[in-house]
Amino acid sequence: MKKKFLIIIGIALLSSYSCQKSKLYPALPTSVSNQDGAPFSTPSRILAQVYGLYAAMGSGQFMGGRYQVYNDVKADNWINSTANSVTAYQTWTETVTPTSSEVLNLWAQCYSTINDCNLFVDGMKTYGTAIVGSATATYYIGEAQYIRALSYYALLDMYCQAYSVSAGATPGVPLRLVGNSAYGNFALAPATVAQVYAQIITDLNAAENALPSAYYTTGTTLDATSNTIRAHKNTAIALKTRVYLAMGQWTNVVTEANKIVSATAPFTAPTGVPFALQASIANVFKSPYTTTESILSVPFTSTQAPGGQNALADYFNSTGTGEFYINASSALMTDPTWAATDARRGFLVKNGTKTVLTKWALGSPYLDWANVMRYSEVLLNLAEARVNLNGPTDVQAIALLNAVRHRSDPTTTFATATLASIYEERNIEFLGEGLKWADLLRLGLPIPAKGNVSAIPVAAFNSSYIWPMSGNEQQYNSLIGR
Amino acid sequence: MKKLLLSSMWVLFLLASHAFAQTRTITGTVTEKEDGGPLPGVSIMIKGAKTGTQSNAQGKFTISAATGQTLVFTSVGYKTLSIVVSGSTINVAMESNQTQLSDVMVVGYGTQNRRDNVGAIAQVKGSDLIEQPVQNFEQALAGKAAGVQITIPNSVLNTPPVFHIRGTNSINLSSQPLIVVDGIVSFTGDFSGGESGGNALSNINPDDIDNIEILKDASATAIYGSRGANGVVLITTKKGKKGDAVVSLDSWTGITTPYRLPNVLNADQYIALKTEAIANAGLSATTAVVDGTNANGNPINTNWKNVVYQRGIAYNSTVSVSGGSDKTTYYASANWSKQGGIIKKNEFDNKSLTFNIDHRANKIITIGMKLSYQNNQNLAATTSGSLAGEAYNTSGLGRLALLLPPNLAPYNNDGSYNLNPANGAIGTMLDKGVSISYTNPAVALALDRANNQINHAVGNVYLQLKPLPWITLKTTYGIDYLYSTNDLFFDPVDNFSVSGGVVTNAASAYANYSSNERWVWDNTAQFDKSFGKHTLSLLLGNEQQSTSVLGFGETRSILSDPAFNVIQAGYVNVNSYGNSLGKDYLVSFFGRLNYNFSEKYFLTGTIRRDGASQFGSDKKYGFFPSVGGGWEITKENFWQDIGADKIFSSFKLKASWGRVGNNNGLGQYASYGTYGSSLYNGNPTLAPSATGNNQLAWETSSKTDIGFDFGILKDRITGSVGYYKDNVTGLILSYPEPPSAGLPTSPSVNIGSLYNKGIEFNLDAEVIRNGSFRWNANFNISYNQNKITSLIPGTNSITYSTSGLEIANINKVGGSVGDLYINKSAGVDPATGDRIFLNAAGQKVYYTFTGTTHYYVMGANGLTPYLTAAGTQNAISQAADGSDYGNAVPKVVGGFSNTFHYKNFDMNLLFTYQLGFYVYYGTQATLTDQRFWNNSTIILDHWTTPGQVARYPKVVFGDNVSNGTSFPTDFNTYRGDFLKVKTINLGYTLPKNLLNKVGIRSVRVYVTGQNLLVFTKYPGPDPEVASNGTANSTPGVDRNTVGNGRTLTAGFSLKF
Repeated sequence: MKKKFLIIIGIALLSSYSCQKSKLYPALPTSVSNQDGAPFSTPSRILAQVYGLYAAMGSGQFMGGRYQVYNDVKADNWINSTANSVTAYQTWTETVTPTSSEVLNLWAQCYSTINDCNLFVDGMKTYGTAIVGSATATYYIGEAQYIRALSYYALLDMYCQAYSVSAGATPGVPLRLVGNSAYGNFALAPATVAQVYAQIITDLNAAENALPSAYYTTGTTLDATSNTIRAHKNTAIALKTRVYLAMGQWTNVVTEANKIVSATAPFTAPTGVPFALQASIANVFKSPYTTTESILSVPFTSTQAPGGQNALADYFNSTGTGEFYINASSALMTDPTWAATDARRGFLVKNGTKTVLTKWALGSPYLDWANVMRYSEVLLNLAEARVNLNGPTDVQAIALLNAVRHRSDPTTTFATATLASIYEERNIEFLGEGLKWADLLRLGLPIPAKGNVSAIPVAAFNSSYIWPMSGNEQQYNSLIGR
Repeated sequence: MKKLLLSSMWVLFLLASHAFAQTRTITGTVTEKEDGGPLPGVSIMIKGAKTGTQSNAQGKFTISAATGQTLVFTSVGYKTLSIVVSGSTINVAMESNQTQLSDVMVVGYGTQNRRDNVGAIAQVKGSDLIEQPVQNFEQALAGKAAGVQITIPNSVLNTPPVFHIRGTNSINLSSQPLIVVDGIVSFTGDFSGGESGGNALSNINPDDIDNIEILKDASATAIYGSRGANGVVLITTKKGKKGDAVVSLDSWTGITTPYRLPNVLNADQYIALKTEAIANAGLSATTAVVDGTNANGNPINTNWKNVVYQRGIAYNSTVSVSGGSDKTTYYASANWSKQGGIIKKNEFDNKSLTFNIDHRANKIITIGMKLSYQNNQNLAATTSGSLAGEAYNTSGLGRLALLLPPNLAPYNNDGSYNLNPANGAIGTMLDKGVSISYTNPAVALALDRANNQINHAVGNVYLQLKPLPWITLKTTYGIDYLYSTNDLFFDPVDNFSVSGGVVTNAASAYANYSSNERWVWDNTAQFDKSFGKHTLSLLLGNEQQSTSVLGFGETRSILSDPAFNVIQAGYVNVNSYGNSLGKDYLVSFFGRLNYNFSEKYFLTGTIRRDGASQFGSDKKYGFFPSVGGGWEITKENFWQDIGADKIFSSFKLKASWGRVGNNNGLGQYASYGTYGSSLYNGNPTLAPSATGNNQLAWETSSKTDIGFDFGILKDRITGSVGYYKDNVTGLILSYPEPPSAGLPTSPSVNIGSLYNKGIEFNLDAEVIRNGSFRWNANFNISYNQNKITSLIPGTNSITYSTSGLEIANINKVGGSVGDLYINKSAGVDPATGDRIFLNAAGQKVYYTFTGTTHYYVMGANGLTPYLTAAGTQNAISQAADGSDYGNAVPKVVGGFSNTFHYKNFDMNLLFTYQLGFYVYYGTQATLTDQRFWNNSTIILDHWTTPGQVARYPKVVFGDNVSNGTSFPTDFNTYRGDFLKVKTINLGYTLPKNLLNKVGIRSVRVYVTGQNLLVFTKYPGPDPEVASNGTANSTPGVDRNTVGNGRTLTAGFSLKF
């Protein structure tokens, strides 16, 4: 009797155990393992990864809004109204510390994007090229290189001294070109600013070579959406004009810009995606957001919104929290040459006593696309480089400047293109779009006073002028050295 | 169950017995002294012989004994009686023994004779946990057992308390113990997605708890292997007893009031202070705070605390029926509870049913089952700012009640809500140049919802076979199914956007459902055998457990018609919300061998091998052994020789060592490196989403225990003293790689170590027992030292933030888990009114804010700029100048409980205390912030004239550094030591003779006070606080948290 029971129980135990052992190694139900090249196992997974790189870049913490916000509010065009330290208040007051949320988060998101690009490039070499074929693989890798370059540029813009300071010999950021996927020792000293710029140019040159000249829906019909939300040849070239301008390499700006700007008005890109100014600037900020002026934008949909406290409209428009409003006493707002009839003033709307910017008009969940780069910037980049090379009477420079002005204000015509007038045009044209700080930095200009915040001199590039490096990087990267 | 086991053991003795004396037959009845009812199952033994019997269901017994022999009557829960045989009829009445704990104790996968135990096990009776205004039994455990720390983090109803047994055992995993209810590992933690707590354990009605055993050392917990490191809490619910059905009803009602809230400025004081601050900032031309006018034409003076807080009213009733026959026993109970919190709209509504039945089919087969079901509504209108992650919510009620300006009103004079028409924040009324982004709490309290509903079903069935008296085979299958539904709605009245003068509502609704289903299947074989003086008991077992989670939901925004307030209405946008899917699996084999020689020497050994799906593919299995020994010295001859027996009635030395693991809180797929998918303009994306680790294994805890239990004066005083050291290695840390490595998440790595060591002391005494007056006391105290011995190579410390914003805690090698990370200061400069901070070198750095610019200067009067070594302008920062300020987890915790009985009156008085820790009172930074925020009245002591010695610096509008908002400072940090009068319960039992006539067994009426008094130097509402919930690394932070209220209840319990 006893034996029988023991045997029955024993059998029950053994059978139940043997049936269940595979449960110790469960399959992932909602994600893809990173082992054995699983993310590169099918063409659709690889394409999804390409979109994933843009999504990382387009995070609300980065190009999806906050990068532009930080660049704009660090300068003098805005007054903070909420004193909220998680929505760029310290950037506005120039009091960020290494542990300020914006300093930590932008750094982390840039490098997360860079690592995704690195992992993708590595994985394409090992697994992916064989799956999609080398032609497609080249395109994809070019997109990764473009996004990596843009991310490194953003880091230099916020965390480092200008290239003009000792030709970039100052400390830059850690330069990482190999993907990291597991626990390991990742201490790495920063490269110099010049070395990081060199890598950006290397990536953009490679991307220019690798990328398709345009995306098509069918045959030769341009796919306007893809051409706005994905990088193609001209996207890479356009970014080079921004990068070379930041480096003060005027000849290179001209060389690159000439590839995508015709010699005379109306200025357009002669090859690839035909970049051109829109007749009305308002069209750029309207659905479907895919004009040929939009070189690159971050798209949003109701299922992929910029997220809380990230959206441009949430900061600059009154449709959200209204974190910032226009500084009525800034140089921009007191500029007598900015005509009252200028179409760009149409974006400035009184909301009570405050003036807000309505380029991004939609309220929560803020589905207006976030501009990363517009064609008018390329035109002004080229103009500025030409004036630096040839002086304010450069004919093409004058034409370029007038092209941007006339589009919004046909009544004002520049006879000469002084650098000051080009800077001012940029200030007017890109209000809210995140170029103002980059301009101050590369030109070595102090940050003007605003509201109750004093002017910040360039001085020794201390942390009130440029951002300090991420506190987490300083703590966990023993070789960072700053 | 216990009784069953005990009786079977007596049967065992009987079978083994061969002695037979010259005797006659004696009959009698055993009754219960208290209610006179028959008492079945009482063991009746002849002293000195091995003969015995049991009383039957009518309490009757028959035994053969000789005159002059002594009959010994024993029954669990009753005082043992010895009667010398003198006639043929013996009727006895047995007195219930509430002061002595039962002789049988529940241990892992079985029961054990108390005397065989060599582990460190604390017992708490269920009756100690009832009649208290709690939402879960854990809240009532505070101060009840040595080595157990219970901290109730806030007064949001049904929040899980911080439950630590012998200190913090982990950094990143949970340090909360394993909770096993009637053999089934229960879900624990907060399952609410709303703004009230949703403690999974609220399904256990304290009235249903028979006994709680808290297993502390490895000897007791190693049988739980990979889950035993944090200690194990075994809960045994009530079962039926043989006899007539007993119906009992327990009902109370209570009222909870806010307690020790900070005093804030009234409107006049506020306006005066801010006007002074505005003038000091040079902003008088643009900025002004002024009186508003209410409907009566008087100045507005709003007490925002009255808008947010209320008196919470609570009702609770439990009815139970239990009884049984020889073969079948049953217990059934129902609970209805409706408790209101001190925050308006916060409510805990509970309905639960429990039923169990045990049936002994024959000598061999016993079967039984248990089923309990709970429906639990956790209601709240909006965030209190007190749950983990919420400390800085701009709509947190606890914060709004303090910082909103008293010169603003919740309503305009026309009765509409006072709102800023531009953004829906609170309107600034007549104030000038002030921008407020905080919400008007009146709106959310009236119109919002953040509700949660939990349906929780727990059940088990078992089959037990005893093919031979010494063999027990048991198979148990149990389920724990918990379903949580959230219903959140944010109104359109203060959530809207304005664009070009067009107002669009931004109302939103969230709803999701999550199912958590666990099954457990245990198979055990128990062998008990005695050979002469050797007693052996062997347990072998197998356990499997699997947990599945599944969740889905949606969020919708922009109402089609602002009149709607449910998610099923029309909205513009739809998104998914609260999706989850996963499964884990644990398979184990275990064994335990108990041996004792002559009840003098005791040995226990356990082993367990666990395989768990959460771990890396290279580390699926772990092995957890333990060994323990005991020595009952009073049984040694020399003990009598030295006369120690005159003092000590028992004295048992105990020691144990073992290795246990911790995986509590580890994600189901924590070891996997993954790519997750999302969208980019409608196109699917795939991107790295988690960093994996194939080597991920258990955290390992090696526990050593030495202690002794003793009894003095025939066990009138019993106590235990224990020393323990618990070395935890392989702590799973989220390895903080440099962010520039770009990893999707910080990898989980077994790295780092810490230890807890300490001493526990527990004393129970019957201080006075003379007829009508009795006084029983329990005193327990435990000291624990927690020390981190290693973190990540090359990294000396890891910092932690509260709600992702303010870093206030640091884990540092050489420090304790969750130490405070604080900047030091040196008061206020009497000459300038500047706040003086101390930099890392201890030098004084003066801080001035002029309204536009911040200055940090060395030396008074703003003379020398504070420079770095490189000569650039410097500022005080936490990263450069903060320091490890000390532990935020108490070093000493304990309780002191006194129960008095005088005639029909009884009173219980429980004190709890926690000592040796700091609390960062971040709320005080809020309360002295010089933005528009209202301040505590302590700000009135601020500097105004040179030479004045003041507590607070010169007030300058916009200054949020001098007060400690920008980084945590020592002037907002306090010792948290406290002594609380936790509960006083006063009861009166109606006289029996009165009740018997109407067929009622007993009636007791009582009043209870909870949190009546707290003695502490901590200035905040409650030093027993945790803004970050049960997280290990962020204790001791009081940031905008709603403190515990004070509760008075009155009730009655009735048995018939």
